[in-house]
Amino acid sequence: MNQLTSTSDEQSPLPVKVYKEKGLFSTLTDTLRRLVKQPLGLLGLVLVTIVVLSAVLASVIAPYDPIALDIMNRLQGPSAAHWLGTDQLGRDTFSRVLYGGQIALQVALSSIALALGFGLLLGLIAGFGPRWLDSIILTLFDMVRSFPTIIFALAVVTLTGPSISTIVLVVVITSIPIYGRVVRTQTQALAQQEFILAERAMNASMPRILFRHMLPNVIGQLLILASMDIPIVITIEAGLSFLGLGIQAPTPSWGSIINDGYSFIRNTPWLIIAGGLPLIITTLGFTFLGESLRDIFDPKLRKDV
Amino acid sequence: MWLFLLRRSALAVLIVILAVSALYLMIHAIPGDPASIILGPRATDEMKAALYIKMGLDQPVYIQLASFFANILSGDLGYDVFSQRDVSDIVFEQLPWTLALIFCAITWAALVGIPLGCYSAIHANTWFDNLTGVLSVGTIAIPSFVVAIYSLLIFSVTLHWLPAIGAGEQGDILSQLEHLILPAFAVGLGWVGYISRLVRSSMLEVMGSNHIRTAKAFGLPTHWITFRYALRLAILPTVTLLGVGIGYLLSASLFAEIVFARPGIGKLIFDAVSTRNYPVVMGSVLVTTVLFVIATTLADFTNALLDPRMRANR
Amino acid sequence: MTTNTMQTSALDVDALHNTDLDNIVSVKDLSVKFEVAGGFVFGLKNVNVRVPRGQIVGVVGESGSGKSTLIYALTQLMADNAIVDSGTAHMEGEDLLSKSPREMQRLLGDDIAMIFQDPMTSLNPVFSIERQMIDIQYRLSISNKEKRQRAIDALHRVGIPNPEQRLTAYPHEFSGGQLQRVSIAMALMAKPKLLIADEPTTALDASLEVQIIELLKELQAEIGCSMIFVSHHLGVVGTLCDYTVVMYHGDVVEQGPTAAVFNNPQHSYTQRLLACDPARIKQRTKRLPTMDSDGSEHVEIPAGSYLASQIGKEAQLENDTDQLLKIDELGIRFPIQSKLSAFINGNKDPYLHAVKKVSLTLKRGETLAIVGESGSGKTTVAQAILGLNEPWCGAIYFQGKDLLSLSARERGKTRRDIAMMFQDPISSLSPRMKISDLITEPLVIHGLPFDSRNQEARRLLGMVGLPLDFADRYPHQLSGGQARRVGVARALAQSPKLIVADEPTAGLDVSVQGEILNLLNQLQEDLQIAILIITHNLNIVRHVADRTLIMNMGNIVEQGATESIFANPQHSYTKQLLAANIHADPV
Repeated sequence: MNQLTSTSDEQSPLPVKVYKEKGLFSTLTDTLRRLVKQPLGLLGLVLVTIVVLSAVLASVIAPYDPIALDIMNRLQGPSAAHWLGTDQLGRDTFSRVLYGGQIALQVALSSIALALGFGLLLGLIAGFGPRWLDSIILTLFDMVRSFPTIIFALAVVTLTGPSISTIVLVVVITSIPIYGRVVRTQTQALAQQEFILAERAMNASMPRILFRHMLPNVIGQLLILASMDIPIVITIEAGLSFLGLGIQAPTPSWGSIINDGYSFIRNTPWLIIAGGLPLIITTLGFTFLGESLRDIFDPKLRKDV
Repeated sequence: MWLFLLRRSALAVLIVILAVSALYLMIHAIPGDPASIILGPRATDEMKAALYIKMGLDQPVYIQLASFFANILSGDLGYDVFSQRDVSDIVFEQLPWTLALIFCAITWAALVGIPLGCYSAIHANTWFDNLTGVLSVGTIAIPSFVVAIYSLLIFSVTLHWLPAIGAGEQGDILSQLEHLILPAFAVGLGWVGYISRLVRSSMLEVMGSNHIRTAKAFGLPTHWITFRYALRLAILPTVTLLGVGIGYLLSASLFAEIVFARPGIGKLIFDAVSTRNYPVVMGSVLVTTVLFVIATTLADFTNALLDPRMRANR
Repeated sequence: MTTNTMQTSALDVDALHNTDLDNIVSVKDLSVKFEVAGGFVFGLKNVNVRVPRGQIVGVVGESGSGKSTLIYALTQLMADNAIVDSGTAHMEGEDLLSKSPREMQRLLGDDIAMIFQDPMTSLNPVFSIERQMIDIQYRLSISNKEKRQRAIDALHRVGIPNPEQRLTAYPHEFSGGQLQRVSIAMALMAKPKLLIADEPTTALDASLEVQIIELLKELQAEIGCSMIFVSHHLGVVGTLCDYTVVMYHGDVVEQGPTAAVFNNPQHSYTQRLLACDPARIKQRTKRLPTMDSDGSEHVEIPAGSYLASQIGKEAQLENDTDQLLKIDELGIRFPIQSKLSAFINGNKDPYLHAVKKVSLTLKRGETLAIVGESGSGKTTVAQAILGLNEPWCGAIYFQGKDLLSLSARERGKTRRDIAMMFQDPISSLSPRMKISDLITEPLVIHGLPFDSRNQEARRLLGMVGLPLDFADRYPHQLSGGQARRVGVARALAQSPKLIVADEPTAGLDVSVQGEILNLLNQLQEDLQIAILIITHNLNIVRHVADRTLIMNMGNIVEQGATESIFANPQHSYTKQLLAANIHADPV
């Protein structure tokens, strides 16, 4: 039989799916099992695990001190002694890549956690608070979003000087609107839902509605968004460091390794390859993971909301 | 409809004003004497005093801000003491290079991305769809400056197919175009994936809607249903994305301009930041911000024009 | 009647198809299954149906009966996960199921035309009606001008005023009823041999429903086509159709001429379905018959002693001057435009007056029904009592206190005595909370004393007749009827004096409606709770309300004892409503 339509399951009398609600641990293992079944999810999981492990265990794995100079052996290609060669100061690139991963993950996790917290708060206020407050917060969000991220970062760096905290500050400020908007939209959609009306009809207090009924329905989508944000933040950190405006020498960073490689692009391709590949692997890994997580959770999220 | 346009424009102006004020206040919030920050360490006391009065720094902040806006409205973005030129001249000299790059990047991304997304949606869940899915997500994930450097490494340094740096000979269109290929490729690559994913998902959503079922129930030819009835609706989110995209493309083009040593507003900002040239930073950030707000506003307008529901409701 | 009398005309396959020449469509042994995660689910099981030529065939069944699957299988418009397992569907000697997509496309919009359930989403929102009506005539080799004229004629025929001007409008510029007329006009232009209508009146108000059904009947006679009319509404099928097919769980349980099916149902399911329909129970009763959800036979026949008990109750109500709820000249308005745009458009009143000067009273233990169509303001009144919106004038007295002038704190205290049941049973339950937490939440909110939450949950579940293990379930694991019972349990938790029930039977199958109404009646009798029912469904009002109040456009047009309103309506709008109320008997 040929099917003409690609309509969703709406018209088909599917039985109501009965799935048991489980504890946190079994939810986690269940998610993992479903993740591993998708080729991309598995790939993402493997890549992310490699990146996270090598960053966490950098001090154990790294064969050299990442900032120890060895001018005699500068700009070498890969060898048994230096797996990814050395840079223009003779530092071991492999060790620098490992430690660079540490920095990248630190920046990503800390800034996303902060942005998530503030975004959640502002979004809830905008979505459930009075209208004038909503307009003010939205206009502020629009204002921040009207600066292209990197250009905003450049402006801030000019003023405060390059440092890790500057990067975190820039990322937090520019990503709050992203989370805030999602939370606001969700909150507003939820506020129209009958179960929130029902809570209000029962005279439930505002904090009770916000934190017991709204939050659990918003947080899932937010966490998926955050996981997809990790590669973006890592890119910003690497980009700023590449421009020499992020992580400062001698602290290793993937961006500054690429920058070193760019300066010596006609001497050796290895620095660029060594700095770029981990960046690509990380962003790909987190993106695949995030996409698969969304595929797993989105249908349920949509159904609830 | 007109009310909507009016309100949207007013909002855009408000946002620009707020953004510029925020920038201005940020610069003035830095500790230290603004005059010496602006003039740099080499400035003499007389220069500082002259600047102090010229910039009206003895006035209260809101008056300073007002006169700053008055200057902007009269086209005066400030004066660059290093090159002894007006900031507006410098910025508008560089702007066309960036706009050309962005235009080329977005055009090739849309030309490849939209058909790819359509084809993937029509042949959803085939091997072709799965493959383009993975590739699209991949191109979105890879940072554009890495694409720029790798393409520089491969096509210029190693293979010598394309020129590495600069924007081409003055007046030689062919050479300029040749110099545009790699930067436009690097800036636009991620957008191919972005656009094709978006077109695919909105196309799938539209194809599953009730009115498409109606069109099928009246036996309309398949290509009508796909291209006339579905695509028209499915393209709407993409239009919005392109507008917002200008902002991201400004960031991406900054990297491309630096990697390929091209002139442009991104390179200008970067150089100004490195030399702590505040008037130039301020002027160029202002112009890019205005550009970005105009682009998003225009995208909203286009959306309203394409969608009769929006035309009526707003 | 016992279930083992499998004497049903549906299974008499040979008799069905012997007269193939008289049938425009005959479906033989059609089975459809759906591919779902982990296997297949059957949508249709060996279905045999005939559509007599030139007649209107009603396919009736509750949700999940497979009635929609049947028509989408015939037109090859099924979802991607649907698979035709076996069977044939012959139309004019050709098997519809074995046609290629291209052949099917040729047939659709020419020999077969369709009308869908939700007119608001069934037309393309970015094209004008003109464009869409001209496009569907692509088969005709006439000029665009002529096509345009045909479209105008068709719109004129279905009763769209000013068709020349309306033609260039977009779908969102029409009301739901008008849009359904446009859909009918489009189907009409095809001059089909077979017209298929999928619940075409479900999304419409009752008075519109009657008009659309009249229109369909006229047009069918005019074109002389055959028609398949799918509906869950027994009354509509009884009124409109010549031939009726009853479906249940993917099976055709009975089919035959409508009068025969309705007056002399053979299959036990049909019998029960007819018995459960409140519209068919002529005598007012507070004990509606119900159908056990497992499908086994269990029809509770209404007790005769009702009237006697009622007389006593009415006398008691007369004496009881203690009004529980009194609403005085209540007005509620919503801003629809900003003041600026109202000024620019020269519109002096930027408000939608949803409720205009409404007054009513409700006594202890009484049931009052507010009846009205969508947009009448009935839900807005209900929400005002619960403090869900801000009236701009009037007063709401509850136990003598004006709720609107109380402080928020005081209001919170009185709220303990008022509970509300919302329209959508499932989505009015917080999706990530267990049933036990949901139904005991009012106790926590109002700081009422209780021993243990679990114990309290069990007590409430018991009161509404749900198994105790439901305490650990989540809302999405419930059926509509079960979720409704949970809603009742939650309303009871705080032992209220008043329950406001917004459309307590909406979205429920006929058989479940009775269960819920009986439950409410029972609880009221036991606990002396006053109930305010908000509904558009006149048939249920008759059986549950002591007094009825009719609302239209924000005003109360009539009120009085339910019996007398039904027997002797005064206001023209009430008469119109009662006339539009379709009784489930073939004409």
